[in-house]
Amino acid sequence: MNCEKCHKNHATYHLTAKENGVMKEAHLCEECARQAGVNLKFNFTIGELLGTLMEPAKGGTSKANQVRCPECGISYSEFKTKARLGCANDYEVFRTELLRLLEKIHGSTSHAGKTPQTVDAQVRIENELMRLKRDLESVVKSEDFEKAAQIRDRIRSLETELNKK
Amino acid sequence: MKVEDLLSQAGEWLKGTGPESDIVISSRVRLARNLRRFPFLTVASASVRSEVEKFVRVRLENGKLPRKLVYWGLDDLSNVERTLLVERHLISREHAQAEGDRGVAVGPDESISIMVNEEDHLRLQVIRSGLQLDEAYDEIDRMDTALEGTLNFAYSPRFGYLTACPTNVGTGLRISVMMHLPAAVLSKQMDKVLQSLQRLNYTVRGFYGEGTSPLGDFYQVSNQITLGKSERDIIAEMKKVIPEILKFERSWRHQLLSSEPKRLEDRVWRAYGVLKHARRITSEEATELLSALRLGVYLNLVTGIPHKLINELFIFTQPGHLQKVERRSLEPDERDTVRAEYIRRKLEGV
Repeated sequence: MNCEKCHKNHATYHLTAKENGVMKEAHLCEECARQAGVNLKFNFTIGELLGTLMEPAKGGTSKANQVRCPECGISYSEFKTKARLGCANDYEVFRTELLRLLEKIHGSTSHAGKTPQTVDAQVRIENELMRLKRDLESVVKSEDFEKAAQIRDRIRSLETELNKK
Repeated sequence: MKVEDLLSQAGEWLKGTGPESDIVISSRVRLARNLRRFPFLTVASASVRSEVEKFVRVRLENGKLPRKLVYWGLDDLSNVERTLLVERHLISREHAQAEGDRGVAVGPDESISIMVNEEDHLRLQVIRSGLQLDEAYDEIDRMDTALEGTLNFAYSPRFGYLTACPTNVGTGLRISVMMHLPAAVLSKQMDKVLQSLQRLNYTVRGFYGEGTSPLGDFYQVSNQITLGKSERDIIAEMKKVIPEILKFERSWRHQLLSSEPKRLEDRVWRAYGVLKHARRITSEEATELLSALRLGVYLNLVTGIPHKLINELFIFTQPGHLQKVERRSLEPDERDTVRAEYIRRKLEGV
């Protein structure tokens, strides 16, 4: 995108501001931004920075923006206004949108650092829980209540183990 | 330990003893961590917040950790005490001003602190004097690993440690190196330094972090990228960048010294004169003048002022410290008088 003012240089500053309750956008090159008195160094918050990186909200009606996380209840469009996620599960619920965002912020979408020592045990329990919950559904459908009770007990004990920490 | 006791000690990072301490004030590393089984604080109700705090607090106070920690609930502290913790870089300004159950655990020499219920459930931080990135990371890594023994952190193999803001996800690691760059500013080279750092994906901030303007020629350089690189790689890159800045700052210092020695001397000695004799001084003016004096001390234009003293003066002349030293609350107007007295007293003994 070219600068809206000089139409020559590449626009590297994407500014948003609220004026009389209406969001306005400006796309400027560094030179024009400086001339416009934009302080290029210090006066931005992480939220504003994120705002410039995120996809423009398509009138807030697009389907992806409306999906809510079943655990914390926030939608992607709410995340866009707050610039903060609601829970760990959001990383899965909004995976597609976040992958794009993470690529822009970090130039990468995969962790390459430390792994918690406890993570193997944790992941194993989580996987087993997922499997047991699927099993539970199917045995309930087939009305095998004795088996269902057994699975429920196992789920409870695994959840307790997981939630001890 | 009480917050007051911080006044009788100075904090390891203020001693001015670490490597490159003519320019680098401190090296800070922080890790952002969240508990797996609680929602992030963005959506947490007051009762969940309170549950998180209790859950973490017990483990910080009684867990088998590499350092003994003292915990303070921030609502149990006075305004002045919270300000003092901000000035000491033990908590963020946002944490001080926020509402709801939250706290901080601090290690004996203030080198480690853990904020509870800031933007993430836990924010671990280690500060060391001078340029000591590996040492600082080693210490925080030990604490993090020890905490894993009692806390399940939100983590995914794909995205790493999960944080409320995607700008911190992955390693959750933010490294900040605080530098004193008066010669870069005097030689009007700071813009160039800032631009090249931004190009390398580093952010530059003022003395008290996000949103603060640079005061007294102090600049804090931090990594922006937390995902896709290992902790050691992030540190290794920082360790390549910082020495470049140091090299430039030193060459500009010597250039000023050889091209305009009298102008530089005059600037330093005027600053010293005002600090030694003023009867009223604002925090901003004190910081600016102390910056000039600090440059003079490290260039040996002024002798006899211990490095530790000059570093401490920057912190102890801030409003929170001043009021705690005086043991009473002071109106801004009154503060300027007390500040001038305090500086005079400290410099008199030199």
